[in-house]
Amino acid sequence: MTIPIEYYLILSGFMFLTGVVGVLTRRNAIVVFMSIELMLNSADLTFVAFSSYLGNSIGQVFVFFVMTVAAAEAAVGLAIIIAVFRNKKTVNIDEINILKW
Amino acid sequence: MELKYLFNSLPYIKPELILAASLVIIVVADLIITKKKELLHYIALAGIIAAGYFVLEQFSMNAFAFSSSGNKGMLTVDSMGAFFKGLVLTASFFVFLFSFSSNEINESRSKLGEYYALLFGMILGMFFMISASDLILVYVSMELVSLSSYVLAGITKQSLRNSEASLKYLIYGAVSSGIMLFGISLIFGITGSTNLYEINYILRSPETNRVILLLAGLLVFTGIGYKISAAPFHFWTPDVYEGAPITITAFLSVASKSAGFVLLIRFIKVAFIQNSLNGYWQLLPAVDWKTILLVLSILTMTLGNFAALWQDNLKRMLAYSSIAHAGYMLAAMAVLSNQGLIAILIYFAIYLFMNLGAFFVVMLISNKIGSEEIDNFDGLGYASPFLGVSFAIFLVSLTGLPPTAGFIGKLYIFIALVDAKMFLLSVIMVLNSVVSLYYYMRVLKHLFLRKAEGAPIELKVSFPNAVVLLMLVIPVLVLGLYFTPLVEFAKNSISVLGF
Amino acid sequence: MSLEITLFVIFALAAAVSAVMVVTRSNPVIAALFLVVNFGSLAGLFLTLHAQFIAVTEIIVYAGAIMVLFLFVIMLIKPENEQKFLAVNKKIKLTAVFLAALILVQIAYIILFANPSARLNPDLNASVQAGTIESIGTLIFTKYILPFEAAGYLLLAATIGALVLAKKKFE
Repeated sequence: MTIPIEYYLILSGFMFLTGVVGVLTRRNAIVVFMSIELMLNSADLTFVAFSSYLGNSIGQVFVFFVMTVAAAEAAVGLAIIIAVFRNKKTVNIDEINILKW
Repeated sequence: MELKYLFNSLPYIKPELILAASLVIIVVADLIITKKKELLHYIALAGIIAAGYFVLEQFSMNAFAFSSSGNKGMLTVDSMGAFFKGLVLTASFFVFLFSFSSNEINESRSKLGEYYALLFGMILGMFFMISASDLILVYVSMELVSLSSYVLAGITKQSLRNSEASLKYLIYGAVSSGIMLFGISLIFGITGSTNLYEINYILRSPETNRVILLLAGLLVFTGIGYKISAAPFHFWTPDVYEGAPITITAFLSVASKSAGFVLLIRFIKVAFIQNSLNGYWQLLPAVDWKTILLVLSILTMTLGNFAALWQDNLKRMLAYSSIAHAGYMLAAMAVLSNQGLIAILIYFAIYLFMNLGAFFVVMLISNKIGSEEIDNFDGLGYASPFLGVSFAIFLVSLTGLPPTAGFIGKLYIFIALVDAKMFLLSVIMVLNSVVSLYYYMRVLKHLFLRKAEGAPIELKVSFPNAVVLLMLVIPVLVLGLYFTPLVEFAKNSISVLGF
Repeated sequence: MSLEITLFVIFALAAAVSAVMVVTRSNPVIAALFLVVNFGSLAGLFLTLHAQFIAVTEIIVYAGAIMVLFLFVIMLIKPENEQKFLAVNKKIKLTAVFLAALILVQIAYIILFANPSARLNPDLNASVQAGTIESIGTLIFTKYILPFEAAGYLLLAATIGALVLAKKKFE
């Protein structure tokens, strides 16, 4: 454990913000969704880093649950994207605008 | 933790067990019943009533469930939780009754089983959200609620509007829960625990780092603020409320919001409060929640009310009005006192009836005319005076004018604010109510003072629907005049375990 | 430079670069493949943190299950490529990137300022023990049994939800 925990935290902050930028700037719903996965993963990294440095398994238990949730969310999310695509023939969120944003 | 503790904890989650069982029963019944899908309505209602019976038991309970050594437990069973569980169940009861006659639901009858199964999933998640005292359970149950509601927002297939609402709900929801998760991970890093009570214990030591804690608190608030649709996390609300089937909209606006509020109350009261002095909660020096809540409540109510002014779609208007109401309740929360908490409870109980009522009337009318645009409602107040008058009562109550219940709700928030000497906030609240008068009355103007174009539409309210409507109108009127029992009830229900 | 540091640098660089690639590639398939690289390097980072179980599940669940689902959907609906990252709305995007960089500097400053490693005294044995499948499993099935069951219902709801949305065409 020669690496200070700060490095892990800064890396996870970087990934988190990359994900946020992706959500804000990308227009393809699937890529937006991938950026959300990046955000979740950066939180996972923080959890595991703290869990390891504290010698406390709870953080890794949390990551286990996050993975479950992420899998369920991906299934539902992609089903919704397919449903939208069937109606609209596009997944570009700028063109999905019957309702005002 | 031994098996014995598990069994000891089971009696505390009876309502949840009933809900979980009902979900499974509905899924199975949906497979068996092929012709008479209407039966599912009754099965769902029976599940709600059975769960309600066991919630009544919980009003006298005060216990931690699923605790192990050194841990204060996963669940807190207390009277505030029981109050909100009752509220969620009442809202679901009415929403199930609405579903009987909703055109949108009846048109996709083959999906009735899934509709109810997902609704039960949502209720189950809300129950866990209401009593969770561990951040892991908070996260999992919030996702249970969210995932079910993403699908429900898009469950009726006929319109593109639905699936679009679903997609927007999903993207906003997933982003905010991701942000919340990052906040939770920081809190875990600072305290080494996910239990709210342990977090509180650790935060009491003076060494905790306040800057990171402030950051983490704000990030977690993003997730909760999304659930209660507080500004600036409200962007999804109008789109989803407009696009989703109206029964789901009604359910989201009451039940989902109340579950989010309990989470907010518990998160702040358990984790960030030092002690209670004369009913006023003393914050830990860690995060200044009072200012945060104050600013957000002003922002939320002002934004909700002013945006509602320009809306021509009634569902959308009610969405913005529900944002404004969240702002009023956040104002009561910002007081951080027992009195503020009582005011929130009273307001929610009243808001349930008036908001569900308003949505019910809109649903009945749009069932007939197939539109929720305000211009199509011209002169409809005379087509069915009963509907028109009850809509008027609900809208007056939402504005907060006497002699309806909405006035009482606002009054108690006001008393709590004045008692805490937060005069500026109370003045802003009054001004906001004046603004809201304009758009609520505009609806009434269309209903009663405009002549309908074309042939007069005949609106008939069937007998069961009339009964449901009366069940919503009567509380709004009665609670406006005879409100002592409700106030007493709320006063007895504010005990949050641990303080 | 010890092995630990070398591995950390490699995996951290891979994670950071692939994260940027996911966000900037215009072809969604390439973005998805970079996301797999990201997950893989995260699993490597988890290994340097002694979290063996999580590292394996990261590969199985994320890189295996979730990414296959993503790629499957991408190939099913064949979305057209977006324009290059900076081709449209250049100003807005640059502002977003600039703001994110600013926030990152702030976060880094806060983290370095807080100096968390001064408060922590990592214990190698405890850390290895925390990452084993035994200790995680024990916690999940005792202390966290309730969230575990709730997660079961979450998966049930997700299954029902995905089915009801997907069955639209086959009626």
